[in-house]
Amino acid sequence: MTANRRNGIFYGVDRWAVLLYVLIVIAGWISITAASYDEETSSLFSFSHFYMKQLMWIGIAWVTALVVLLLDEHFYHKFAYPAYFVGLALLVAALLFGREVNGAKAWFEFGSVRVQPVEFAKIATALALARVMSGYSFSINRAGDLMRVALVICIPLLIIILQNDTGSGIVLGSFLFVLYREGLNKWLCIPILLIAALFIVSFLLSPMTLLVAVILVCVLSEAMMNGHWRSRIIFLAAIALASILLCAAAALIAPGKLDLYHSLLIVSLLSVVGVSVYAYRSNLRNIFILVCFFVGSMIFLPTTDYIFNSILKEHQQNRIKSYLGLLDDPRNLDYNVNQSKIAIGSGGFWGKGFLQGTQIKYGFVPERHTDFIFCTVGEEWGFVGAVVVLTLLCLLILRLMRMGERQQEPFGRIYCYCVAAILLFHVLVNVGMTIGLMPVMGIPLPFMSYGGSSLIAFTILLFIAIRLDASTRQFSPDRY
Amino acid sequence: MTGSEGFIRMRTLQVVVLIIFAVIIGRLAYLQLIDNRYTELAEANVLRHVVQYPPRGEVLDRNGEYLVQSRECYDLMVIYSDIDKRGFDTARMCSILGLTPEKIRRELANARMRPRAPRLVTSYISKEDKLRFDECNFRGFYTVYRTVRQYPRQVGGNLLGYVGEVNDNYLKRHPDYKIGDYVGMNGVESAYEPELRGRKGVKIQEIDTHGAIKGSYMNGLYDSLPEPGRCLTSTIDIRLQLLGEELMRGKVGAAVAIEPSTGEILMMVSSPTYDPDELVGRERGNNYMKMLYNKRQPLFNRAVKAKYPPGSTFKLVQGLIGLQEGVLRPTDLHVCHEGYQAGRLKMACHAHASPLDLRFAVATSCNAYFCYVFRDILDNPKYGNVKEGYDVWREYVESFGFGRKLGSDFLDEGNGYVPDRAFYDRQYRGSWNSLTVLSLSIGQDALGCTPLQLANLACIVANRGYYYIPHIVKKIEGRDSIDRRFYERHYTKVDPKHFEPIVDGMWRGVNVGGTSTMARLDGWDVCGKTGTAQNPRGRDHSTFLSFAPKDNPKIAISVYVENGGFGASAALPIASLLEEYYLTDTIRRPALLEYVKNMKIYYPAYDR
Repeated sequence: MTANRRNGIFYGVDRWAVLLYVLIVIAGWISITAASYDEETSSLFSFSHFYMKQLMWIGIAWVTALVVLLLDEHFYHKFAYPAYFVGLALLVAALLFGREVNGAKAWFEFGSVRVQPVEFAKIATALALARVMSGYSFSINRAGDLMRVALVICIPLLIIILQNDTGSGIVLGSFLFVLYREGLNKWLCIPILLIAALFIVSFLLSPMTLLVAVILVCVLSEAMMNGHWRSRIIFLAAIALASILLCAAAALIAPGKLDLYHSLLIVSLLSVVGVSVYAYRSNLRNIFILVCFFVGSMIFLPTTDYIFNSILKEHQQNRIKSYLGLLDDPRNLDYNVNQSKIAIGSGGFWGKGFLQGTQIKYGFVPERHTDFIFCTVGEEWGFVGAVVVLTLLCLLILRLMRMGERQQEPFGRIYCYCVAAILLFHVLVNVGMTIGLMPVMGIPLPFMSYGGSSLIAFTILLFIAIRLDASTRQFSPDRY
Repeated sequence: MTGSEGFIRMRTLQVVVLIIFAVIIGRLAYLQLIDNRYTELAEANVLRHVVQYPPRGEVLDRNGEYLVQSRECYDLMVIYSDIDKRGFDTARMCSILGLTPEKIRRELANARMRPRAPRLVTSYISKEDKLRFDECNFRGFYTVYRTVRQYPRQVGGNLLGYVGEVNDNYLKRHPDYKIGDYVGMNGVESAYEPELRGRKGVKIQEIDTHGAIKGSYMNGLYDSLPEPGRCLTSTIDIRLQLLGEELMRGKVGAAVAIEPSTGEILMMVSSPTYDPDELVGRERGNNYMKMLYNKRQPLFNRAVKAKYPPGSTFKLVQGLIGLQEGVLRPTDLHVCHEGYQAGRLKMACHAHASPLDLRFAVATSCNAYFCYVFRDILDNPKYGNVKEGYDVWREYVESFGFGRKLGSDFLDEGNGYVPDRAFYDRQYRGSWNSLTVLSLSIGQDALGCTPLQLANLACIVANRGYYYIPHIVKKIEGRDSIDRRFYERHYTKVDPKHFEPIVDGMWRGVNVGGTSTMARLDGWDVCGKTGTAQNPRGRDHSTFLSFAPKDNPKIAISVYVENGGFGASAALPIASLLEEYYLTDTIRRPALLEYVKNMKIYYPAYDR
C-alpha cells in the first residue's frame, strides 16, 4: 500500500482550503486586536492582551493541524466510535462536574483556561455520523437506519440541552444538511424544518392551532411522498368529523369535561394505531417515521411550556421573547443587538479604519472579541471588509462540499458535508445575530472569535476533512 | 440513490449556501449603505458635548460703578471610580466646602450608579473654597468654571432682576436654550438677555460605554470658545438709588426719577425691595419661596407694574386738556366754597381763597376748579353728547402715556388703566354723564397709573410737551447706540404753549404758597404737585410729582407711598430729599431725613 503512496504529508492537501483557513484566521486575529486594543496600556506586546494570547492559540492550533495531517486516515475511521463515546462522556462530565458560565453548565476549567467539551463533541458526532452512514448496506430512507442516525444526533443534543447550552445544541440540527445530501426524502426534510419552526413560534400559537398545524404538516407531506391524495384527504375529514362528534357526545354526557382540543388529541392519537397498521400492510415504511414525528411532537407539545418556564433560565427566556417581539424592552435585552447593529451600520461602505472604530474601542458592543467579533469587521472595515470575510467563509464552505464530492468513500464525503454544515450554521447564526437576523444564541464565529478551545476544535474539524481528502488524492486512480 | 441524483442534491445545497450568504450580505448592505440612522446613533453613543459657559455681561451705573458683577464660581464634579475609597476624608471636604456629610454621602451614592461618568455634586463653590480645595487634592473630584451674579452695592432687586435656570416653559419658546442654562428673569437681566448672555462654547469629547472620557474629538477641530456677554452701562445713578431705597424702607410703594432731557431713568425703587444677592447661590430656592409668600410681595415690581389712582397729580393733565380744547383760559375764575356742588352731588375741597384762577388752583390743588374744567371738556357742545366728549378726553389722556405701555425696556411693564366708554356703559347700563364720572377729574374712579407713567408725566410737564421713552440702559459694549425708539421725541396732543401756566402753578405750589411748600430748595426752582388718592384699603395713598429746576430741568421724579396719607406727609419729603441729594450732592435737612426714616405706616391690607 505504501508503495503506491506519494510521499510527504502535504501531498494532496487541498491548498485552497488551507489558504482560505489561514486568511480567515488572520482576519480574525486582526479583529481581535482591534476589539481588545486599549490606547492606555503602554506595553503593546504583553501576553496579558487578548490578541497576544490569541496569537499563542493560533500557534497551538497550527501545530494541532499538523498533527491531524500526520495521522493516518484509517485512524479517523476506526477512531470514530470511541471518539463519539468519549465525547458523550465529556459532555456528561461537564453536566455533572462542570463550571457554570452564563447560565450554561458546559465548561471545564483548568487553571485560567476554560474548555467547552461541546466543541469536541461536534467533531466526534460528525465522525460517528459519517461512520454510521458509510456503513455497508446503509439506506437513509429505511426506518431502522434513520433511527440509528437520529440516535447518533439526538443523544449529544439532549445532553447539551440539559447543560442549558441550547445554542450549541441546535448546531447538531444542521446535520439535516448532510442527511439531505445523502438522499433523505425531501418530503421528510420539509416537515422537520416546519415542525422545528412551529416549536420556535409555539409560544405565540394556541395549542389547538399548533395541533392542527402538526397534523396537517404530517399528513400532507406523507401524501406528497406516497401519493394517494384521495385517501389522505378522507383521513383528514374523518379525523375532523370524529373529533367533533366526540366533543358533541361528551357535551351531552358530561358537559364541560372535554373540549374540542382534547377530543382532537384523543382522536388523532387513536388514529395513529390505525395508520400504523395501514402502513405495515401496504409496506409504506416512511409513514412510520412521520408517525414517530407526530407522537414525539405530541409528547413535546405540552412540555414546551414546561421547558420554557422551568428549564430555560430567565435570560434565555427573555432572549427568545425579545426575538419574537413578545417583550418590549430595547435597553436591556435588545441592547447587545442594538449596539452591534449600530457598530456595523456606522461602518458605512469603507469602514472607519483599523483601530478607529469608536463603538468597538470604547466598549459599546458587549462580547466584542468573542461572539460579536463580526462587529469589529463591520465597523472598522465597512461593507467591503464584511463582504470579503463572508466571501472567504462562503468559499471555504463551498470548497468543503467540493472536497466531499470528490471523495471515493462515503465516509469522507459525509464527513466533509458535516464540516460544511457546522460551519454554515455557525456563520448564519453568529453573523445573523450581529445584524439582527437571528436571535442571540451565543455561538462563536468559526476561526475568528477569540478563544483557544473554539479555534483548536474548528481547526481539528477542518483538518480532518483536509486529511481525508488528501488521502483520497494520494490514492487517486489516475496514478495507475 | 444514483450518482446523478446526488449531483442534483449537491447543486441544490450549493444554491442554499449561496442564498444564505446573499441574505446576510443583503442585510449588511441595508444596514451599512442604505439606513444611515446608525451613524448618528453611533455618534450619540460616543460623543459628549461639554458646554463651556461664558461669563455673563456686567452692568455699570451711569458713573461707571459696578451694579452687577460676574463672580467666578465652580461646580464640583466627581468621577466615582477615581475616588481613593480608603483615603477619602469626608469630614475634611465638608469643612472646606461648607457642605453637610449627609449631602456628600447622598451625592456619592447617586454617583455610584454610573461610576465612570462625571456627576455634579454641588454648585456655587466660591473661588476661595476652590483654591483651598485644590490644595487638598481629593482624587476623583474636580471643579468646572461657571459664573454667578454678584451685587457689590446690594441695590435694585426688582430693577436688575435675577438669573435662574431655565424652566420647561421657557425652553419650549426658546429652542436655543438647553436644560441647565441660566437665563435672566425680570428687570435688566431679562430685557437685555441676548446681550448679557454671550455665546456658549463647546468641547466635544469621546466617551466610552461607562461614560469615562477618552479624549477630544478630531483633536478639537469642532470645539469652540465661549464668547463673554456684553457689558451694559445703565442709566441708574447708584447713589440716588441707594438713598431712594433707604428712604422707601418700611413703606410700600415706588419712586421713579427720570432725566427729562433724555428719558434716562436715574432711579427706580420698588418697595419693599430685596437684596439681589439673596437670589444667588445655594439658598436661592429657599429665599425665593420666602419672598413669594411674603404678603408685601417684594418680587412684584411696583414701579412698572402697579396700578395706582393718580389722585390730584392728574389735575395737571386735566388743566392741559382744558387749555388745548379752548374751554379754559389760565385767567378763568371759578368759585369754590369748600367743594363743588351740582344738585345733590357734592365734591368736597379744603379751605382756600375763592374765587381762584388756574395757577392758584394748581398750586393749592383745588378739587372744585378741576370739576368745572372736566365737565366743560366732556360737555363741550362741539361733540354733541358727553360720550363723544369722553372719547376725545380719553385720547388726550392716552397721548400722555396713560392706559398703555410706554415701551420702555422693561419687558413686564404694566398698562395702567384708563376706562373706556364701554366700561362706563357696562357699569351704568348706558346712562351716564359728566357728573356720574366726576371723580375722574381729580384722578380717582377707575383710573390706574404706574409710577413710571407718573414720572413720565413729570417729564412731559418739565419738557413742556414731549417725552423720551424712559429707559434703563445707556450704552451697550461694542454698539454705537441703543434702540432707536429711545432717541425719538414723543409729543402729546397738547400744544407746548399751554404748559407755561401749569408749570407756573406747580412752581407757586412750592415756592409761593400751596400744598407743596415743604419741597422748597433754596437756589433751585423746584416745581411740584401733591396727590392724595382715596382708596378702599385703608388710609389715603400719598403721591408727589416734581421736577427741578424749573428751566432746563435736570430731574423729574414721582413718589408713591401706599397708605401714606396726604401727598405732603409721606411722598413729598422723600421726593424732596432725593432731589436735594441729586442736585446738590448733600442733604441739609437732617431732621426731615430722620422724619422720613422713622415714619411708621400701618398696612392693614398686607399685614393681616
